[in-house]
Order: sequence, then structure tokens, then C-alpha cells
Amino acid sequence: MGWTRRWIIIAFWVVVACLGLPYWIWTTSIHRSHLPLGMMNSWAEGKACQMSYPLHIRLSAPDLGEQAGSLLAEGVMRRMNELTDLQLYTFKLSYNDSLPTSTERDWDLLVLLSEEQNTNPEASLRSWAPVLDVRYDPNSDTNTLATFISQEVRTVFEYEHESLTYLLNDTPYATGKDTTSSLEGKTRLDARTTRAFKYASMYHLTFSLFTSSASPSSWDVDEALNKYITPLLQPLSKISKFTINTQVQLHASFSPSIAGPMHDATSGKWLLQKTDLSGFVNAAEWPLSPSIGAGPTINFVLYVPSVEQSPLEIAETGGTSWLVPQWGGVQILNPSDMQSATLSAGDLEQVMLTFADHLTALVGLPPSPQSLALRLSSLTRERATSLILSASSTLGALARLTLKLTSISIPDSVAKSVDETIARLDQACLDLREGRFDSALSNARIANDEAERAFFEPSMVGQVYFPDEHKVAVYVPLLGPMAVPLVMAALKELRKLRAAKLKSA
Amino acid sequence: MKLSFLLALPTTLLTLLTPTLASPEYNEHLHLIPLSNEYLYAGFNFTSTTSQSAYRANNYRYFPRSLGQILQYSRASELHLRFALGRWDEETWGARPRHGRREGGTGVELWAWIDAEGGTEAVEERWSALVNSLSGLFCASLNFIDGTKTIRPVLSFDSEGTSRSTAGSKQLLLHGTLANEVVCTENLTPFLKLLPCKGKAGISSLLDGHKVFDANWQTMSIDVRPICPASDAECMIEVQQTADVVLDLERSMRPRDDPIPRPQPIAEIECDEGKHYHGGDTCYPKRKQGAKRWSLSKVFGSPVIGSCHLSERNDGEAEEKWDISLEVPSEHIVEASAMQDSLTSDDQIRLYRLSESRTQRSDLSLPHQYESGSRLRPQPALYATRQITGHGQERGGMHAVLRNPHPYAQQIIYLETLPWFLRPYMHTLKVNHRFNSTEDKSARPVDVFLEKIFYTPAIDRSRATKVEVMFTIPPESTVELTYDFEKAVLRYTEYPPDANRGFDIAAAVIRVLGSIKGLGREGDSYIRTTSLLLPLPTPDFSMPYNVIILTSTVIALGFGSIFNLLVRRFVLVEEIPKGPLAGLVARVKVGLGKLRGGKGEWAEGAGGAGGAGGAGGAGSANRAHEDAAADGEARRAGQTGVNGRVGEGKDGLTNVERKDR
Repeated sequence: MGWTRRWIIIAFWVVVACLGLPYWIWTTSIHRSHLPLGMMNSWAEGKACQMSYPLHIRLSAPDLGEQAGSLLAEGVMRRMNELTDLQLYTFKLSYNDSLPTSTERDWDLLVLLSEEQNTNPEASLRSWAPVLDVRYDPNSDTNTLATFISQEVRTVFEYEHESLTYLLNDTPYATGKDTTSSLEGKTRLDARTTRAFKYASMYHLTFSLFTSSASPSSWDVDEALNKYITPLLQPLSKISKFTINTQVQLHASFSPSIAGPMHDATSGKWLLQKTDLSGFVNAAEWPLSPSIGAGPTINFVLYVPSVEQSPLEIAETGGTSWLVPQWGGVQILNPSDMQSATLSAGDLEQVMLTFADHLTALVGLPPSPQSLALRLSSLTRERATSLILSASSTLGALARLTLKLTSISIPDSVAKSVDETIARLDQACLDLREGRFDSALSNARIANDEAERAFFEPSMVGQVYFPDEHKVAVYVPLLGPMAVPLVMAALKELRKLRAAKLKSA
Repeated sequence: MKLSFLLALPTTLLTLLTPTLASPEYNEHLHLIPLSNEYLYAGFNFTSTTSQSAYRANNYRYFPRSLGQILQYSRASELHLRFALGRWDEETWGARPRHGRREGGTGVELWAWIDAEGGTEAVEERWSALVNSLSGLFCASLNFIDGTKTIRPVLSFDSEGTSRSTAGSKQLLLHGTLANEVVCTENLTPFLKLLPCKGKAGISSLLDGHKVFDANWQTMSIDVRPICPASDAECMIEVQQTADVVLDLERSMRPRDDPIPRPQPIAEIECDEGKHYHGGDTCYPKRKQGAKRWSLSKVFGSPVIGSCHLSERNDGEAEEKWDISLEVPSEHIVEASAMQDSLTSDDQIRLYRLSESRTQRSDLSLPHQYESGSRLRPQPALYATRQITGHGQERGGMHAVLRNPHPYAQQIIYLETLPWFLRPYMHTLKVNHRFNSTEDKSARPVDVFLEKIFYTPAIDRSRATKVEVMFTIPPESTVELTYDFEKAVLRYTEYPPDANRGFDIAAAVIRVLGSIKGLGREGDSYIRTTSLLLPLPTPDFSMPYNVIILTSTVIALGFGSIFNLLVRRFVLVEEIPKGPLAGLVARVKVGLGKLRGGKGEWAEGAGGAGGAGGAGGAGSANRAHEDAAADGEARRAGQTGVNGRVGEGKDGLTNVERKDR
């Protein structure tokens, strides 16, 4: 007779345990896609990729023979790769007699040798092309020449190496040895990176003329831009795209938070205190809203003071322009003819040159070497490196987050983005190691975008507001009263069973 | 001719008819009309143009950059945005300014022509980009204009621009309304920021949020349109910003530091000496005659600061360059400080030009005038009202009354946007008319022939209903438009925080076709009814948790009783074994009885009552007795049963259930 009751209780428990509980857990569980945590961590810890930058340098000497040239190239290559302070690079030198003609190039630096009688060897960089011109005495020793060339090439890449080391420093990708030379150099690089915008594939440039009175109310900006800014944007557009818009704003007043310019009786000038520079741009009233569309906006503000307040200068230095880190540049213009309603392209020349200077700093172009093409390729490498670093650290953060917050959901889109990120990172790393820097940059950019998208997935955040405690609070009124008789009956039955066993024994 | 001149505000007419100006141009203008002695209408108008090439190249001068970028991004060729607050009192104020073309229904209204390339989905995406960016620009909740608030009118709006259409380019008109948006200062500030002088100089310096939003009626509009001259000259893009307000003179002239109305000092009150009780100590205030005394600086809180003359002035065309026009009878005295004034040829409108100086403060003041200054205002084309009829939570009816006061018939287009939760029964749509002069109210109204109907039914939660009806109102008659509707029940999460307030239904837009002859399409005027408040059945919002608790309790109760019936054994009260607790309770009771001494009887009595209850309960358990007896343990239970009754005799049923161990 006692077994009927037991069977009933067992049946209840079987239904609850096999049907009820799994169904309840299934309906209230959070969807968590599988993430390749191991891969993510290996990227975050810098194990997945070894940063190295092979540089292909081509030697060209029309006056040197094929054999001598190859020998020279070998000598330079040996010397270069022996350098201890450029260990991130591996140099590959090739010798080619013929001058390159095709526009497609597969070298990073061309060393062009030309003979010149009775001179000490000297070298100079071309300012647009990645070409190092070396003049040498035909009678000089090959070894000396090789040493000289390697020294020159070293100076070309020295700054870039320093900044790459700086980038890799304090990350798991660091090569172990801190080669950054001096504290001074570090501060300089620090300033450069804080000044520059984060890399984006599209930048919007906004040129604004702010006039404190009603004139000048127009400027010949189209012509000035074509003359001074477009030539710079053309080479830069290989790395990022740019859109330009301009505006004129009249009656621009200072923000009340700054002291404003003071009149200096001795010089007859109006002086702007250095402390006022950070609050000079009146963000509340000046319409400098960012442009629509993806990508950050770089603002260039030209401020024309009123006749009563000119000439306006910065106190102590006497300068008229400054750069606002990660925002843009400001230039004060005290026109010679204050009554004129229009600023001509000639008036704007100096302004536009300053803005061009600001622009190079804001997109992060390195200040050295002299050649723009070399600076650009150096920027490509730096950007690709920093994007890989940031994407992998985002991956690491995402991996830690998913482990820490067990109650957040992980939608499939996040898993997909993570997979894409890892694939792109692999590709970027491979590109970097094989010297395809442009392709490495574009892959690294996509990887970074995907990683950010995965990390900031909005549907992940929503789940945080329904933690397990909340679930318990809702279900306790149902599950509590149901569980009590079940458990009590089971306990009682167990006790009885034990008692029966003791009795029979 | 005179009438038409008065009806059309000078600048509107000017810019509408002569749209070609070669260079980027900006002009502004303020039109003032005192209405019925107590109210002042002020219409601000700011127009700037830019050439299409500069617009395409993103070189902005007087055209606001932020707006230009939004339009280019969303590929909108023409944009009309309205913010409105208050009600225009047609009975006393007459026809609406600018033929109602520059005003909107209460809240926010937006319509735009958007490039149709890429199909409906692309257009909807652009529209959504447009409303979202405008929302950010104007600090308004425009981003709530989604599919459920967007319609595509066919007849009601015509493009104001003249674009040189290139082959294949098609524009799509989308119209969205947000009736529950409260227009306020935060919308005026971005509006002023779009102006070249930013409210710092010129007439825009009069626009102050405190005064503008204290007005009885106010509307702001932004209209962008392309203008292509007939010749091969370059196309222009024009942005026209208007702000129209009707200010209560007395209210707006209160000093700002002391806004509480107080009685005037007795010395300033003019006494009516005609009263027989007038004496040295009594004063009956004389009713003010004629027009009130007012000045710009008092009404708007500050005088006009400087001027905003930006266009290069060619000496050849210096005429029509005035900033302020004032419409008062010619015999009125007007004192203008620091302004050049002139009169129009018919002496009706005075024109003022602000001085070029940057800091000069200019003012207009009108002293108290004894001659009644109010001229007869032109009659509006129509009087329109709209109400919700019916009662209850389920059904209702819409009832619009349109009265034509003119001796000629007028063709109109009636447009309504209805939210999806208001479901109209279109078969009940009735439009009939009755002549104004008919005395006999019982006379059967005559049906009106509906010339065209465009109707888009709603889709729940994704599309709004559009009703567009075209018909003619006979001369001097009143048309009634009625239909019934059903109210939908919303989902729990779809109610706004203030659900019991009701839901705003956007104003109906009435377009009166060509009431002014000879002006063609431009002669159309618009009238908007007031917006409506629709009460919907609102649930009790604590319901979900109550439901959870209640169902949980019911399920647990049901489960518990069935489970217990199945697994528990029922025995007689006498068979209950003595539990460890029972002895304790009995001892305590005995102790208590001793303590109370004389009251020992009480303890026994209580025990007896408990026993009776226990016996009653045992009756129901009798059926289970056989089971229990067979179990072998029953004897043991029976021996201790008496004690158990004394101890636990509080409730018989509990006793029975407790016995099954």
C-alpha cells in the first residue's frame, strides 16, 4: 500500500525534474552565442601576431655597374640589418639599374646614386617622392659608401621606429626591450598622439569664418582651398577620404567663461591670455555642430576681430594661431583693410598654410622625415599598428566582459563580428609581415570597426537590467508554494523508508 | 487691388513673385498689425538665398550650414517645418497672416520632398534620417515622427519651389505631424542660431523666448525651396524663416521684474466724471477709448539693436529696403526713434529702415490714440472647427464644421492624419451642408458631392490613416463632415507615462483653392483646425504584477490540494500521534492556568471547544479511516489521541492533516 504513495510522489518528481525545470530554464535563459575566447585572449595578449615591418629599399645607380651595384646593395643590407636600434624592421635591398618608370611601385624607398667628382658623399630627400638622392665621389671606397648610405637610410626611418616602439610600449606586443631613447622624445610622441584624431576612413573638414561684427561677411574660400588645401588632401586621400564644407558666421561673441582680450596700451594691441585659449571657441553659441555621416569633423576656425578690438594677439608669444587637440585649429586674422567686406584668396594664403599645417598634425602625420610620401607611408604603418593594437585590446575587453557578466546575452551578431575581427586581424598581421601596408591598414580598420561594433552591441546592455535576482523575485510566488509540499512529501517518504528498513533489519 | 495688397504681406508677395536674385542675399522684415486694440500681430520674416553651386559645394554663407548638410544628406529638395502653439482667433482677428501658408497645427508639422531614387525603402530611410537630424538641430522630439505619424498627401500640398527637373529624378512628398510636442524656448534658440545675425542685431534681437512663448498664438516656420529662373540663370536655394506671434499688449507690457498685475495708483486713473456719484473721494474708472499705448521696447522687452543689413546695396535698387512695416490708419501718431520712415503710396502701411550703426537702439512707440484704431480685418476664407463626439471607451465620432462666409462657392481639400488606434469607419463618412441663413434647424441638410477622396487605411502599429477629401462649399453655407470611429486597445507598453491625459490627434489641414483670383496656385490659403484630445481606455498599470501574484497563488493552491489529496492519509482525530510540540503546548497551558488561578476554567473551556472542532473535522476524515486502520500504526496514534486533542485542539482540520506521520 505504501508503494502507491511512493509511486505518486516519484511520478511528481519525475515530471518536475524532467519536464518542468528544463522547460522553465529554457524559457528564462539568455541566449549566449559561443565566442572564440581562446583566440580573443591570444590576440589581447599579443601572442597571435608578431609585429615586424619588412622594408624594401631599392638601390639605383646608373653609373655603377650591375655587379658593383649588387655588391653595394648587399653591403648596405648587411649593415642595416645589423643595426640594433631598428630591430622592428627587416630591410631588403635590391639593386636595379634602370630607373623606375611605372607608376606602380613595390619599394618603400628608392636610393638614387649619382656621381659627382671630388665631393664628400651627401644625401637629400625629395620632398614629394620617396626618393633619397645620394651624390658620391666615384673614386670613393664601396665600404665607406655603403656605411654612408646605411647611415642615411637609418636617419630616414629612425623617427618612425621610435614612434612605433612608443606605440607598442606597454602593450603585450612590446618587443621586451624599451628602446625609446629619452624622456623628451617620449613627451614629444605623447603630445603627437594626443593631438591627432583617432584614425577614421573619412574626415569632414569644416572651415568657418567667424566675424565678431558684420564684416567681413564673405571670403574667397573656394579659390584659397583649391590653392592651398587640395594639394595636401590629394596624397592624404590614400589613407582617409575628406569632405570639405565652409561657412560664414557673423556676430560671433566670446563665451562668458573667458576673460576676453585685454587692451595693452604700450603696444596698442589687444592681447588674449593663454588661459583663455581653451575657452576661446564658444561652443554654446558658435554653430560648429559636427557634420552628418560617419567620421569625425575637423574644425578650422578663422576669427576676425572687430575694428575696435584689433589687432588681436596672444599675450607673451604674439602668435595668432593655435591647435586644439582632436578638435581643430584656430587662427586669428587681423586684416590690413578692416573695412573690406570680402577676404580675398591672397588674404587667406597665410591662414590656409597654417590650417594645412594644423591638418597634418591633426591627422597624425609624423613630422619627420622631410619627404611627404615617406611620412605618408610611415603614417600608414603607424595607423595599421595602432588599429591592430586597439582591435585586439577590444577583443580582450569583450572576452573579460562576457566572462564576468554571466547574465548578459551574447547575440549571434556579436559572435559574427568577433569572427570577422579575428579573420581581419589575421589578414592584417600577414599583410604587415609581408610588406603590404596599405592592405594591412584597410584590414585593420575593418577589424577595429567590427570589434567596436561587437563591444558596443546595444542588445547586450539591455539584459543587464534583468539579473537573476529579478527572475527569482518574479517566480518565487509560483515556485515556492509548489515546491514546499513536494519537498515535504519527499522528505517524509524518505524518512519512512529509512524507518521501515531499520525495522526490517 | 487694395484688398489683395493688404492680404498678402509685402515680403511674402515679393519673394514669391520675384525669386531671382543673382548673389547670395539676405533680407529680413518685421510686419506689425495692431489687432482689435488689445492684440498686436508681429510677423518676422528672414529670407536668405544661396546659389545652387555653392550649396552643392558645401560653401555656406547666409544659408545655415547645419540645415544645408541635413538636407543634402537626406536628399530633400524642399522642406517645410512648422512649430505652433496657441489658437488664432478668427472671429476677432480675421484672416490668418500669409494666407496660413506659414503656419502649422499645434505642435510640430513637417513635410518635405525627398528624392525618390531607390524605391520606397530608400525614401523612408532618408525621411528617418531627416527627422532624426532635425530633431537634434531643433531640440524637438521630431524623431518620434515614424511610420505611424507619416502620410503621403496627394492633393493638399504643392511644391513651392521651381526646380529644373532632370529626366528620371522623382520627388516624393512625405508629411509628418507631432501634435503632442510642446513648442518652447529650446526650439527658438536653434531657430535664431540659423540666422546670420543670430538675434544679436536687427529685428531678430526682438525675439525673446519669454515674450514669444507668452503670446496667445505663435508659429515658427522654416521653408527651404529651390528657385530656378525661367532663363538659363543659375538656380538658387532659398531658406525662409518666419516667426508670427499675436501678443496680448497688456500682458506683454508688464514689467519683467514685477509681473503680477496690480491696481494702478489712483493718481493715474482717469475718472468718469459723468457719473452722478463722482466726487473728490470716489472715482469710477473711465473705460479706455481707442487704441492702447504701446512701444516695441515695452512689448518685446528690448528695443531693436542695430541692424542686419548684409546684402551689398546697389544704389540703383535701393527701394524696398525697409526693415519694419506697420499697418495703422494714416491719422495715427507713430514716434520712431533712430529710424528712417516712409509711407506707402496708399498711406496704409508705414515703412521703417533701421540705421546702419551696429549698436544703435531703435524703437517705435504709439501713444494712446482716441480714434479707434482697429481697421476692419479681412475675413478669413473659412471658419473651421472640429470636435470628437460620442461617449464611452469603445466608439466615437469626428465632427468638423466648415462655414463659408463668402457669397461665392469655394473648393477645398480636407486632410486628416489619424493615428492607427483611431479606426475610422469610412462608410459612415457624411458631408452635408446647410445655408447660413436657414432659420429652420429641422430642415434636412443637403449632401455635398465629394469630388475626390484619397484614403489610406492604417496598419496597426506601422502606418497612419490618411483621409483626403475634395469638395466644394456652396456660398454662405455651413458644411458638416462627420464619420464614426472605433478606439483600439493599446498594448501595455504602448501607453505614454501620462496615459490618462489622452492622445493628441493632429490638426486637420484645410486647403482653400484659389480664393484670390489671378494669383493661381499661390492664391491658395490654408486653415488648420485645433488638435484634438482622444481619451483611450487605460488599464491599471500595476496589473502585470498583480496577475503574476494572483495566478501563482491560484496555481499553487490547486496544485497543493490535488497533491495532498493524492499523497496524504486521512485518519481520525483520536488516532493522531502525540507530537513533541503538543506536550510543550499542554504544559504551557497548564502553567498558564495555574498562574491565573481562578481563571483555570478558561483554559479547560478553550480545550473543550477545540475538541468539538476537532470532532467535526474528524467526520470528514472518516472515509480515510479504513486506510489508516489498516496501516497498523493507527493503534499507536489512537493511544495518544486524547493528549493531542488537548494540545492542538485549535482547529480540527489541521489536526487531521497533521496526523499522518
